[in-house]
Amino acid sequence: MSLQSVALWLSETPLALELADSNWLFGTVEALHVAALTLVIGSIALVDLRLIGVGPARGSAQEVLERLVPFTLVGFGFALASGSVLLFANPIGYSENFWFAAKFSLLALAGINALVFHLFAQRKLAEPGSVIPRISGAISLSLWLGIVIAGRWIGYTL
Amino acid sequence: MTLLVDFAAWLGTTSLSALVIGHDWLVPAIQVVHILAVAGVLIASLHIHLRALNVLERDVAQEQVAARFLPILWGALGVLAITGLLLIASEPTRAMFRTVFWVKLALVTAASVGTWAQGPLALRYNTGGVAVAPAQRVLAVASLLVWLAVIYAGRWIAYADAWAGAPA
Repeated sequence: MSLQSVALWLSETPLALELADSNWLFGTVEALHVAALTLVIGSIALVDLRLIGVGPARGSAQEVLERLVPFTLVGFGFALASGSVLLFANPIGYSENFWFAAKFSLLALAGINALVFHLFAQRKLAEPGSVIPRISGAISLSLWLGIVIAGRWIGYTL
Repeated sequence: MTLLVDFAAWLGTTSLSALVIGHDWLVPAIQVVHILAVAGVLIASLHIHLRALNVLERDVAQEQVAARFLPILWGALGVLAITGLLLIASEPTRAMFRTVFWVKLALVTAASVGTWAQGPLALRYNTGGVAVAPAQRVLAVASLLVWLAVIYAGRWIAYADAWAGAPA
């Protein structure tokens, strides 16, 4: 099944028709998406800045990570759920949109970066002066900035 | 409303307005900065209120958590005011003529005061340690809900109807 046929099928679901009809529903899910993504960005930024060695988060990088990652995960869960609903509003438009593809490519890279951090970089936290966690934090911060930019650009290019 | 109409008309003639309108990419770019600043407000307020609820940084005095995160809150609110003004300049007849925009500003004021007040309340009740006064718990939950309402109201500016007789 091609991407086009999936998009076409999604566009004919009851949820898609409901979203197309109702500003109320679409706006509410969008607001939830904004709240969720700002929680993700805020918590990830504090962790990344701490990895780089700056910012207001208190304690060791490991402590900051343990304290704030639950917020990131909760925010990401809500962003994923609300984002999935928003997808139904214009599946064909999104499937053909460059910035939508860019956003998901960047999300995939952010996921890979998080995995690499977990597998290799996190153990370097105990080594004073190690540059690896700093690089990991800087990459994460850049990718998430790109994700927000690409996400906002989708709305202007549909 | 005359005052607002005049202000919107004047804003539309400024070079600031011409600058923002003159570049297609500038409005979404300003919106990106606006969203990042919302993230700053949210994470700063969460720290202050969740500390008051004994969820975050329990081993740190409440005033110290507030002292660390209030500057971030004020800085982010400053960025929001500047980017918000630029967004209004890009379309002066839009936000200011919708009730939900003024509701949003009122809610921002209330939530800002509520978040700032946690530090002074902690000193007043001198709760120290992990004990938290009931008033602070209520304030924490209420303020966080109002911040969520701010996000909702902000998104709603795009969908609300303008007042009857507002400039088009």
